[in-house]
Amino acid sequence: MGRLAEVAVAGVYQTKQGDLSDRTQPTVWWEAVRGACADAGVGVGDIDGLIGEGPAGAGLRDRMPAAGLAEQLGRPIRFHARSSVGAGSTAAGLNLAAYAISQGLAEVVVIANAVAGHGSGYASASRDEAVAAMAKLSGPYEYVYGPTRVSDYATIAMRHMYDYGTTPEQLAEIAVAQRLGATLHPLSVHGHRGELTVDDVLSSRLVADPLHLLDCCSINQGGAAIVVTSASSAAGIGRHAPVVLLGYGEGHSHIDPNALPKLTEFAAAKSAADTAFGMAGVGRDEIDVAGIGDHFTIGVLIGLEDAGFCARGEGGAFAEKGGTAIGGRLPTNTSGGFLSFSHAGLCGIFSLIEVVQQLRHEAGERQVAGARLGFVSAVGGAQQAYGAAILGRA
Amino acid sequence: MSGYRKFLPEDIPDSHRPFWDSLRERTARVQRCDDCGTFRYIPKDICPRCHGGTATWTPISGRGDVYTYTVVRRAPTPAYQQDAPYVLVHVTMAEGFRMIASLTGADPQDVHIGMPVQLAYQDVTPEWTLCTFRPAG
Repeated sequence: MGRLAEVAVAGVYQTKQGDLSDRTQPTVWWEAVRGACADAGVGVGDIDGLIGEGPAGAGLRDRMPAAGLAEQLGRPIRFHARSSVGAGSTAAGLNLAAYAISQGLAEVVVIANAVAGHGSGYASASRDEAVAAMAKLSGPYEYVYGPTRVSDYATIAMRHMYDYGTTPEQLAEIAVAQRLGATLHPLSVHGHRGELTVDDVLSSRLVADPLHLLDCCSINQGGAAIVVTSASSAAGIGRHAPVVLLGYGEGHSHIDPNALPKLTEFAAAKSAADTAFGMAGVGRDEIDVAGIGDHFTIGVLIGLEDAGFCARGEGGAFAEKGGTAIGGRLPTNTSGGFLSFSHAGLCGIFSLIEVVQQLRHEAGERQVAGARLGFVSAVGGAQQAYGAAILGRA
Repeated sequence: MSGYRKFLPEDIPDSHRPFWDSLRERTARVQRCDDCGTFRYIPKDICPRCHGGTATWTPISGRGDVYTYTVVRRAPTPAYQQDAPYVLVHVTMAEGFRMIASLTGADPQDVHIGMPVQLAYQDVTPEWTLCTFRPAG
């Protein structure tokens, strides 16, 4: 067991996903946090640590979220930090929570993600506004030419196909496997649409070649939260099999995609995974279930390669053989992932929660039999920053 | 040109101005490290290769070949959508750095990795000139 084994994801909760434009960020934030606290067997009054954002307020309440939360709880928050791994900030936040708890700086730490209401920019309920806002994240040396997040990943996919012979069919297998998981998850945004075939993906319209509509995540709203405590208190309450953090690693590599020697491998992702596996003291072949950032199908494929679950260039064959499906070599994003479960705000929290539910053996029809070790890769931006966490059923 | 509705560069630091000025002057110049000679595209405070602290704005050949590309069919805004489908390319320049811009003057289906291209200029407003690549003749 690695040195982080003393902390556990003790509680998890996911709200309805999809269109929450009739609700507000604070109501969704509190629903998620109350739910995760109840799941952990603690009360909201036990919270003494916060990672990331609190319930939205105004002015200083947003700039100083822990102070704002403390005011609402009527008791001090003893620890607050933010991570900067973009959508992957929950796994990164888990590491910060582990630090706080192991150092005695806090006992009950919450991390929550809530997107609701009408918002603006990339939190907008308007799909067009969100797409436009996300395009501008790339910076002026790119956005003047009209890229989108899809086109950023499309250029990665195009080069991967050129270098390694990866095919659109192989990418489609990832979307197909994940949609099946989504049909088995009652909260998923797209599960109700039913299963997909490779032909369905390939016949959906091209958004940015070679990526089709069904290679892309949805843009939707939703909320989720996790509660982190010491492993001993999680075990003491005993509502669920405790899921402990065994290893964590992080990597930040670039802003401009031109700054990398290649667009088909991401050294910071590899080093994040190496650090996490080294700390946990487990091997790649021991991992039973994974959550890998899947804003686009190519992200899963490259994520598998970067984390060392298959050799460079073999991600396509891995997916083609059903490697990412439930029952495959490494069931990945079994809830449906960002593609079919939910892509709201700091969506890495959904990848993490699904792995926790798998390790608790509470994933229902999606359950990976006997899952004991899970891997979560947290991707920030367009493969610009990474966190890698290894979780274990204690 | 006041009707230009696509994105224009915003919040460009003064230290980046020489690049954008060079586009308007139609002689693209990028930073070249004074210590190790490495070209770098987006301006930086130090050289990512040798960490040297000074650089000189140096004219480039404008020649390169396509490292990767995509055809954008769903654009970020209506102004870009009018041009869709359009091609975005990452180009490995003769000087060894990569840059991103549009590719114009070619049918999207003819674009391929390794294709030789030449930098050209698009005056989009009186203040701003952007890059575009064209197939090298």
